[in-house]
Amino acid sequence: MVERFRSKALELPDPEHRFDRVDLAFYGVDHSSATYEARVFIGAPRGLERGAGADHPAYAGSFYVFGHDRCYGEEGHCMVPEGRDPFDLRLPHHLEPEPEVVTVTEAVRRLAEGGKRKAPVDVLACGPDGAPVKALGFDELRLLTYR
Amino acid sequence: MTVAAKHPSRAPVRLRHRRSARRLSKGQLAELRQALSRAQRIGDDRGYQYWAGVHGLPLPTYCRHGSPLFLPWHRAYLYFLEKALQDQVPGVTLPWWDWRDHSEALPAAYARARTPGNKANPLHSSPIQPSGRRLPNEKRTWREPGDPSWLPSAAEVDQVRANRDFFTFQSQLESLHNGVHGFVGGTMAIVATSAYDPIFWAHHCMIDRVWYLWQLDHPGARLPDAYLDLALPPFEMTVRQTLDVTALGYDYAAGTAAVPGPGNG
Repeated sequence: MVERFRSKALELPDPEHRFDRVDLAFYGVDHSSATYEARVFIGAPRGLERGAGADHPAYAGSFYVFGHDRCYGEEGHCMVPEGRDPFDLRLPHHLEPEPEVVTVTEAVRRLAEGGKRKAPVDVLACGPDGAPVKALGFDELRLLTYR
Repeated sequence: MTVAAKHPSRAPVRLRHRRSARRLSKGQLAELRQALSRAQRIGDDRGYQYWAGVHGLPLPTYCRHGSPLFLPWHRAYLYFLEKALQDQVPGVTLPWWDWRDHSEALPAAYARARTPGNKANPLHSSPIQPSGRRLPNEKRTWREPGDPSWLPSAAEVDQVRANRDFFTFQSQLESLHNGVHGFVGGTMAIVATSAYDPIFWAHHCMIDRVWYLWQLDHPGARLPDAYLDLALPPFEMTVRQTLDVTALGYDYAAGTAAVPGPGNG
């Protein structure tokens, strides 16, 4: 788990190809520890300051994770099983990683219209008091463009 | 009666109405407090502690988060807690906390430790049963309201409501919901203990209300058929049964006022 993440540059949509909506989809988001805000920035310069927020020009949106804090069971209780028996009709494990979707249309439009073809995504994890928290974890990030 | 939605979803029947926590009449608020206080005094599976514990601690953690069943599970949860309160005070309903209004951090009915009659306000805090505590000394719920920027704005809610796909709508609404838990802080800030805080129910009524409004915005939009007959443990209810709030006997009004008629005698 980390308190910040910077992606490789993602390809942005060509402004000549119209788009109505752009989402950043985070897959496999961990929610086993703290409750936090994930502040999402697109096209920020390297070295984004720790306290950067909604007033930063590269801010694109936030998602919020409702954390489980820690394991309250015995050893193994909070281990998410790998793989799933297709005949297992029980509901998934309570810590099954979750998807998060942040709509970032205007932020991407600004960058694309400014001539940017690629941009990295930065994510800062902050607790309710604004302090960084080491709770951020996810498997994959995708930029989804719709029209 | 002023309804919160532009149009009621069905011809008038004797539904119960969940009202804004900021617009409860004195009598409605007194009844809510009375129902909660009575439920707090019951130590078995009719009581508040039992229902609060269904969400997280004591284990198992039944609540569904980050799951396709987030909204249906919590609608069922509200329904069963509300029924338990109605067993104590017939007709009482859970209110909704409209957190889009940032003018006051928490609704006054929940924020004040004492009632106007100088009694302990059961909406302000609740005991936590020993098996529901993170730490042995966390005997009561507590709050630590944080940065109001964690509370959703009207524009954010409108943007979420504009989604036509159920799962995208649900995922984005759940994220806003998560921020409200973090904003309240303390007992509310983690899954395991959050439902012990009385404001949990008003928060989730607002989430349920936004789903209800989304359903009115997008007639027929719902979870895919494959999910409809799934059970929502520990409740005796399927996803399908949660889709129509009027079939569950309630809808959402901003406020209500009623007077008796002349009778039929």
